[in-house]
Amino acid sequence: MIVLVLIIISLFFIINLYNKPFIDIKKSNPELEVTAQEILDDYLADEYSANEKYVDNLIQIKGEIAEISFDKGISIITLKDRSGFSSIICHMLPETNLNVLKLKKGSQITIKGVCTGYLFDIMMVRCILTNSNFNEK
Amino acid sequence: MKNRIIVILLLLMSIQLFSQERYLTKEGYISFFSHSLVEDIKADNYQVLSVIDKKTGEIAIQLLMKSFMFKKALMQEHFNQSYVESYKYPKATFKGYIQNLKELDVQNETVEIKGILSLHGKEKEISTIANIQILKDQINLSGHFMVEVADFDIKIPIVVRNNIAKTIKITFDLQHKPYK
Repeated sequence: MIVLVLIIISLFFIINLYNKPFIDIKKSNPELEVTAQEILDDYLADEYSANEKYVDNLIQIKGEIAEISFDKGISIITLKDRSGFSSIICHMLPETNLNVLKLKKGSQITIKGVCTGYLFDIMMVRCILTNSNFNEK
Repeated sequence: MKNRIIVILLLLMSIQLFSQERYLTKEGYISFFSHSLVEDIKADNYQVLSVIDKKTGEIAIQLLMKSFMFKKALMQEHFNQSYVESYKYPKATFKGYIQNLKELDVQNETVEIKGILSLHGKEKEISTIANIQILKDQINLSGHFMVEVADFDIKIPIVVRNNIAKTIKITFDLQHKPYK
């Protein structure tokens, strides 16, 4: 009997672990808050140490929109840098699509998401717009 | 005489333009799929960087391992930490040639692509047939090929060995636009 209970409990934990959810971007607090220029400067200075600092972390970036595009149902916001050489490409979560439509090129926004690294541009996934973008209006 | 100079200048300019006929995408799609009796595992990457030089047929593809999105958080964690060791090898690259790209002018055709795939610090020659679509301001490449997990020195623990296929199917869909 005890063995059976133990098995059921451990099974429960295993299944729970197996189905462990992704972090909730909306509810979690960002580990770092930076401006687009700061993170780009870090990456241009040293990609390796910038990766250690940013990759896999939930970060919040404030910057100017250089471009908004839609591709295969995903909206992509590109944040610009002063020099225009590199940018930050943010792949938004589908639930943000409606709000992304309200945004305009050139406006200042704050995006929260997970950094995956650098390929001539900084890549961000699972991004959302923070509430501050809409309160100001 | 003046006209001749202009014509020569124009010719020179056009040659220069042709030599810079590069096509690029930063939103390419690559996925991999593993089928086993226990489970199917799929991961999608929509952040693939790919550049084609139309003149030479050269193609260079780069992606971040961390940009592969899984259905389950635990799978993604294991993939990055234990299998491909993304912290050590954050990128995968492919460098190769689209064979006879210059001779193609029909809109839909298949081409052979040959090159070197580097992943997890290992290199492997890949040769695959892809669909190609050459439009006025677009070059689309799509297709799939198989890779052996063992070729890239990726160690899978015995416990989950039955969950992960030995041969993984890689699918790609890259829509290049002229590079300005």
